Amino acid sequence: MEAIVKATGLKKYYGEGETLVKALDGVDLEIERGKFTAIIGTSGSGKSTLLNMLGGLDVPGEGSVRIGGQELARLNAEQATIFRRKQIGFIFQNYNLIPVLTVWENIIFPISLDGRKPDQKFIMEVVKLLGLENKLDRLPNQLSGGQQQRVAIARALATKPAIILADEPTGNLDSETSGDVISLLRMTSEQFHQTIVMITHNPDIAACADRIIRIEDGRIVE
Amino acid sequence: MFQPISVISKRIFKQNRGRNLVAVLAIVMTTLMFTTLFVLSQSMSKNIIEMTFRQTGYDAQASFKSITEEQAGMIAAHPEVAETGNSIVAGLAEDRRVSGRQVEMRWADESYARHTFSMPVTGRMPETEEEIALDTLVLDRLGVAHEPGAQVTIDWIADLETKEVQTSTFTLCGFWEANESSYASMAWVSREFVRKAVDSAGGAAPGRMAGIHMAQVNLYSDRDIEGSMDRILADVGLEGLEYNVNLAYSPEMNYMAAQESVPMYLGMALVFVAGYLIIYNIFQISVTADIQFYGKLKTLGTTKKQLQKLIYMQAGRLCIIGIPIGILLGYLLGAVLVPVLISFQAGSVSVNPVIFIGSALFAGLTVLVSCMRPARLAAKVSPMEALRCSDVDKIRKGRKKRQGNASLAALAWSNLGRNRKRTVTVICSLTLGLTLMSCFYAKNAAFDMEKYLSGLTIADYQIDEASNEAYMTGYDPQGNTLNKELVELVESMDGLESVGHLYSHETKLALNEKTVENIRDFYTKEMLTSWASYDAAGVEAMQKALDRRQASSVIYGADGIVLDVYGREEYWENGSFDAELFATGEYVLAIGPGMEPGIQEQAMPTVGVGEKVELEGREYTVMAVLNTLSPVTEGAYEGGPQDNFYLEFIMPAETFRERWPENTLRKLYFNVSDENIEEAQEILDGYFKNTGLTLAVTSRKSMTEQYDRETRSGAVMGNVVSIVIALVGVLNFINSMVTAIVSRKKEFAMIQSVGMTKTQLCKLLVFEGLDYAGLTLLVTYILSTLAVGIGVRAMVAGGYTTFRFTLLPLVVCTPMLIAFAVLLPYLCFKNLEKDSLVERLRAIA
Repeated sequence: MEAIVKATGLKKYYGEGETLVKALDGVDLEIERGKFTAIIGTSGSGKSTLLNMLGGLDVPGEGSVRIGGQELARLNAEQATIFRRKQIGFIFQNYNLIPVLTVWENIIFPISLDGRKPDQKFIMEVVKLLGLENKLDRLPNQLSGGQQQRVAIARALATKPAIILADEPTGNLDSETSGDVISLLRMTSEQFHQTIVMITHNPDIAACADRIIRIEDGRIVE
Repeated sequence: MFQPISVISKRIFKQNRGRNLVAVLAIVMTTLMFTTLFVLSQSMSKNIIEMTFRQTGYDAQASFKSITEEQAGMIAAHPEVAETGNSIVAGLAEDRRVSGRQVEMRWADESYARHTFSMPVTGRMPETEEEIALDTLVLDRLGVAHEPGAQVTIDWIADLETKEVQTSTFTLCGFWEANESSYASMAWVSREFVRKAVDSAGGAAPGRMAGIHMAQVNLYSDRDIEGSMDRILADVGLEGLEYNVNLAYSPEMNYMAAQESVPMYLGMALVFVAGYLIIYNIFQISVTADIQFYGKLKTLGTTKKQLQKLIYMQAGRLCIIGIPIGILLGYLLGAVLVPVLISFQAGSVSVNPVIFIGSALFAGLTVLVSCMRPARLAAKVSPMEALRCSDVDKIRKGRKKRQGNASLAALAWSNLGRNRKRTVTVICSLTLGLTLMSCFYAKNAAFDMEKYLSGLTIADYQIDEASNEAYMTGYDPQGNTLNKELVELVESMDGLESVGHLYSHETKLALNEKTVENIRDFYTKEMLTSWASYDAAGVEAMQKALDRRQASSVIYGADGIVLDVYGREEYWENGSFDAELFATGEYVLAIGPGMEPGIQEQAMPTVGVGEKVELEGREYTVMAVLNTLSPVTEGAYEGGPQDNFYLEFIMPAETFRERWPENTLRKLYFNVSDENIEEAQEILDGYFKNTGLTLAVTSRKSMTEQYDRETRSGAVMGNVVSIVIALVGVLNFINSMVTAIVSRKKEFAMIQSVGMTKTQLCKLLVFEGLDYAGLTLLVTYILSTLAVGIGVRAMVAGGYTTFRFTLLPLVVCTPMLIAFAVLLPYLCFKNLEKDSLVERLRAIA
């Protein structure tokens, strides 16, 4: 299978001397197109740092990240932002919905930033799949946590990105809702052939993925 | 289509009510100040131009002092001429009721009347022989009611040579508000009346006023009036016809008007700085507080430009609300201030669109500049940092851990240092206003009324003979308005402390070689050129006098206060005054030109000290040359307007009286004790009322009042600007304190949860406020001391000032600021306390 994400020799160190922290210490990684990959590790293992680097939010001290053939380090800050909104969908632990926008506006926000017209048909399909069709006019604070995370998933899918990066998407949810959200994520991955990389510390949730990558002390220990 | 940035901008705008309120207030104040300053500067220059028109007496571009009706008609027909006005003189009022004011009896057409500020507002111009139109000033002096149809009787003369007085009775047909800036009033009569007056005077002739035809020319353009006039005259074949260009149109006038606006521009610069400091701070605080939000937007793909747009759109919204309100309020404030500031009558408020466009632009620019850094901050946010950032500038590296106990005061102090930029901005903002206030106060306080008055008046009261100011008809040395009766009245007043008398006599004076040399040496080429620029005739007269070795002379006889004052050393230019020797009557004092006080090195342009001067056949020795003494010398010459070169001398009044016993008193000076000042004025008013006589009375009090009127503009402006800037500073202080406390809600909840009591927290906040106030005061005191001690001291050096070091406004503001610093945190804390600790801990989770 073709690799959509290719990371080589990723390193990120914080501090120096006695206080040196090796958040990432030489990570090589390939993610295949259309697959649902889980990265699992304990708190402080470097999994969030890795995800931020894959999404171009953080810059590695050493090494490179390529997404769909684009070397992220070659982009300046502005180009990186634009690349991100077109090619990468994010799902955060705290949903990161914009509180002043309605559900619908939140979903089409990244597309509109680009000045593009949203693909109504496709988005409605996603919305229906996620069971949000009756909530489109609500504001995020009128929704439950699970509903909010579903909106975030819809937003990530709406731009048809090369890859979706999910950072502990169930971290703020109870176990029942967590299960729902994960199965929805899993389903969309299959239905839309969407590449998804998810971070979690929960092995049960990771078990739903096509592939599990384990990370410890900044290194991959598969 | 969904416009994400504008939708977000609109919605988060609605959420930030508190910030918007403060920001709108700040924008309103900034715009208000800009508008007020614009209104004032525009109105000032407009009114200065208007005033110069009123002073010159007309607003046409050019005038003819003497022209024939045919010539005037030819000029009127020229295509470059917009309008001409014509007037024919009948004579001058010679009525003691209007003494001191020149009342010109003339016929005029409507154009002439309109352009001389003398068009009847009530009633109309005279049509029949017995009709007259007058201004309110003359009506009041004559004691005639402001009512068309009233009877008016005037004594007047048609011939300056014979001065034969005629009495005529008229019916009032119209009147208007007098132009008090001019020395003359118009009394319009009918053409028929003028014709008869000219006939009875024996026709128009040189030296005779009756029959002089005057004309004014209004051109379409104000540019190069002289060139246009010469061209027009050449076109109609009247080359060489003498005309005058209205002085009010000279480029110097525009320059003067522009100069008057300089303080306004300075004020605008200060308003800009003050506006920047607060608006910047508001946005900086707002962006810092929302930085996580901007970070979130950035992770989702919002570009730098889009983030900046988001900030600018909100600023734009605030401007749309704030600027119109500011303009409206500013215009109203300006309209209220203009009459206060403009010391002469008929001050009007400008409605020039420049005011509104300019203020809006300046206010908009201030907001834009203020938002630039906050917008950049928001745009620069890195999505990673946004997830951690809080209300702190930057984590300072390598900072040593403080040893010792974490006392509340120390904690408060370090809290202040956590956001240095904001602390600095707030302190700057407050300091600016307070320092300005101190400077303006110190500058005004440095003014020395005594010094100022000493140049204008030498006694509590000075009364002039009516003809002293008769610049047209000339001073009458035997005038009887300042008569024995009045002098006795004054000299019998209660509390009279001292009296001074002044007599004068004009004569010819032969100039000797030494004097001619003195004069030639004194006037350098440069001085002559600058003198000639405003008084070419004066220079010419002097040259002529030097060539002929003959000048004119005014001899003053003086005693009492006059000699007491001018005997003082500060008035000597050459030589020195010895009262005993002077009293012998063998000596005179020469009056020199106006110089800086102090003994001069070079000889003054008059008869030298120790030289003999022959005055009407008797020789005197010049004892000293004195500085120019306007309270003595101000007044008309005996022959009316003169082109003579005068040398002036003072001799003892006793000697003068012996030589010219028929000359009457010209000026009377007297001092009364402080408690009798008011009474003296009342006695004089009563006397004038009873006798129907009006003499010019110059009192220290009226001069003080006049000064206050004239300088009110600067004082009011300075105070308004510094007070508003100080207010802006206080607003900035309040905003910073309040937002700092509100945005630290969670932090406070946390330190409370680990055991800090409410009282301790409240104390901590109060300490922080006090630190703010203390720092501000420290900086302000240092800066103000420097600004007042060096800046203001240098600024007020010279002139009518005595520098006194004062920081009174600061001393007054100190307790107020401290009270604020204690009260604000306390109130904020009370408000914060409404939510329970748990609620607050959870709130921002």
